[in-house]
Amino acid sequence: MNASAWQMLLDGAWTTIWISGVSIAMGVIAGLLIALIRIARIPVVDQILVLYISLARATPLVTLALFIFLSAPTFGLSLNRNVAGILALTLNTTAFNAEIWRSAFRNFSREQREAAMATGMTPWITFRRIMLPQMMITSLPGLINEMSFLIKGSPAIAVIGIVDLTRVTNRISAVTYEPLPPILVACALYMAIIGCLVWLQRLAERRANRLAM
Amino acid sequence: MSNWEILWGAREQFWSGFASTMEIFGLSISAAFAIGCGMLYLLEGSRPRLTVPVRVFIDAMRMLPFLILVYLLYYGLPAFDIRLDAWWSGVGALAVYHGCYFAEIFRGARLTFPPGQVEAAKAHGFTKGKMFFRLILPQIVMQTRPLLGNQLIYALKDTAFLVIITVQELTAAANSLSGTYFIPTEAFIVVIGFYWAVSVVMEIIIKQCGRFSAKRGFDHV
Amino acid sequence: MFEKSTPEPAGSGQTTPEQSAPDDTARSDRIAVSIRHLSKSFDGVEVLRDVDLEVREGDVVTILGSSGSGKSTLLRCINWLERPDSGSIHIGGQRIGVNDAGRPMPVRELAKVRARTGMVFQSFNLWPHLNVLHNVTEAPIHVLGKSKAEAEALARDLLEKVGMSPKADAYPSTLSGGQKQRVAIARALAMQPEVMLFDEPTSALDPELVGEVLAVIKDLSAEGYTMVIVTHEMAFARAVSDQVVFLEKGLIIEQADPETFFTNASTERVRQFLERNEG
Ligand SMILES: Nc1ncnc2c1ncn2[C@@H]1O[C@H](COP(=O)(O)OP(=O)(O)OP(=O)(O)O)[C@@H](O)[C@H]1O
Ligand SMILES: [Mg+2]
Repeated sequence: MNASAWQMLLDGAWTTIWISGVSIAMGVIAGLLIALIRIARIPVVDQILVLYISLARATPLVTLALFIFLSAPTFGLSLNRNVAGILALTLNTTAFNAEIWRSAFRNFSREQREAAMATGMTPWITFRRIMLPQMMITSLPGLINEMSFLIKGSPAIAVIGIVDLTRVTNRISAVTYEPLPPILVACALYMAIIGCLVWLQRLAERRANRLAM
Repeated sequence: MSNWEILWGAREQFWSGFASTMEIFGLSISAAFAIGCGMLYLLEGSRPRLTVPVRVFIDAMRMLPFLILVYLLYYGLPAFDIRLDAWWSGVGALAVYHGCYFAEIFRGARLTFPPGQVEAAKAHGFTKGKMFFRLILPQIVMQTRPLLGNQLIYALKDTAFLVIITVQELTAAANSLSGTYFIPTEAFIVVIGFYWAVSVVMEIIIKQCGRFSAKRGFDHV
Repeated sequence: MFEKSTPEPAGSGQTTPEQSAPDDTARSDRIAVSIRHLSKSFDGVEVLRDVDLEVREGDVVTILGSSGSGKSTLLRCINWLERPDSGSIHIGGQRIGVNDAGRPMPVRELAKVRARTGMVFQSFNLWPHLNVLHNVTEAPIHVLGKSKAEAEALARDLLEKVGMSPKADAYPSTLSGGQKQRVAIARALAMQPEVMLFDEPTSALDPELVGEVLAVIKDLSAEGYTMVIVTHEMAFARAVSDQVVFLEKGLIIEQADPETFFTNASTERVRQFLERNEG
């Protein structure tokens, strides 16, 4: 592999990282919003969200990416590939994150909540000052785990022509006729990225356990 | 003719895509299950020299995207003069990849397996293999079934990656139909419905197994 | 709106742990808590039946009764953590939970009335993500809108009062049970409530830690705080109370001053209870 192949691999890694990063950020926040709406149990809206979560969890990312990218023009939208990719990843990860946030909410100590109410906090202040900071700590390991899953699913966006860390190996071997080396380097890069996340997840778990004491 | 009628006319393609996906899925998860059980057996330590490599292999697989393993088998193996076609590369990758995840799930449950039972079995003169396959494995499988069920759904979803190496499965059917008739929305809604239906059915089956196992007293032994 | 009377009695600046009996002459005749015809059932089982109780400002009322008699439920109705089925509760003249129109109070209004009470729980319920100081300042800052400096000054005074100032920066998980409970008391006091509610504040403590918490509560009574205390500590109840109430299956079956209650109870059931508990 020559220098330009290495450069291409790093570009591919960067594409994977930034597209995943944007999707993760949006998915974590959207997941929280959906969890909160579900907790409010608004009729109809709640059923729609249950259906969305169920569908999003069952739909393969490849299928979702193709669906969004190919059918957007029939609705008169022209999505650029990156936007379609980010949308697919976000729609997918949001559903999982919503369930993580919701379980953090449901498992929150009733007694701590009562202690907050007893000091005269409104439910909103209780949520913002007492529950949310702790939910962030307890959910973080699960959220980071879901980030790993998102990175592992991210090669799906190759199907709509985004040249990510997996797809770039095709581009390189089209020139070098040696597919194995770039694939092995890509493996190493994925392991580095996901290894970081696994390490962060351990730290987050330790912090969450300390809170639970 | 409405778009839905066009799709109805092309139902044969959906069916064959669906059948192909289910065939790949069924074959590969059966193999994955066997691989998972085999790895757990190796981790029991009957072949001490294999324990560490198996652990490393499992952890490595869990740090890789599924598609890159497909690439390794499909594009990488020919470097060693092993040529698998797209279909077998896909099935092989699914089996190995999800086999490792199964093994990891089993391993987690094995750590909390009551040692008393093993002691008792030893005292009754069970051999190592008999103890593993008759005593430990069935309980671990029943105990981990919700996680296994989740993993099955992941495996089903991963079959769709194979469209990228041109396997003719369900997503490929939608893709080609939407190209031929330019009705992507309807075509993909139908295949997403298929995936969803299979997932829901699997979830129901897992729940039913839960009832069965509760009856047999597998939980909380 | 009712003017919020400051519950800070004379001598609150003092921090000497004097354990004198409450000063009878300082007692006013104003009513801090008034409970009328309070009933509550859980799943068809009546837990409180037509309970009437008045707590005068500056009084300490202890509630005794066997397990499951409804003591916690009564206390939790006072600040509406439990919603009664019928009856009314007034805190300093303001009805809690139901507004003037007879409808359930909006949450903000309810929170305002709740803030006039302070509660100490059996299991402390400190917030583990905040250190001791911030556990105490959290509500004053975010409910009363106090400045950070003002809230911290008050919190440090209160931590001093409960003997926890050296641990102001510690996190709850590093404290002993007795220390946690003293912080929980400071947290409740920080809202300058008109009445303090204690639900078995020492039941979750190791025996050697019970004393330090009871001493703090005794101090508060000496300072004239209005308190309603559920406890199983008979000697403490006798020493600190102005009024003792005995609950049995959701009914108040005896209500008297501590001397009468402990030496000359009128009901057989109470005499039995005292025999068993004083051993
Ligand atoms: N949230 C609830 N749901 C159903 N039943 C409840 C609930 N809270 C209390 N109870 C029941 O109401 C009765 C009174 O409970 P309460 O906690 O008030 O008793 P207590 O006098 O405080 O007892 P203890 O001394 O054990 O704390 C008990 O029988 C209890 O089981
Ligand atoms: Mg109680």
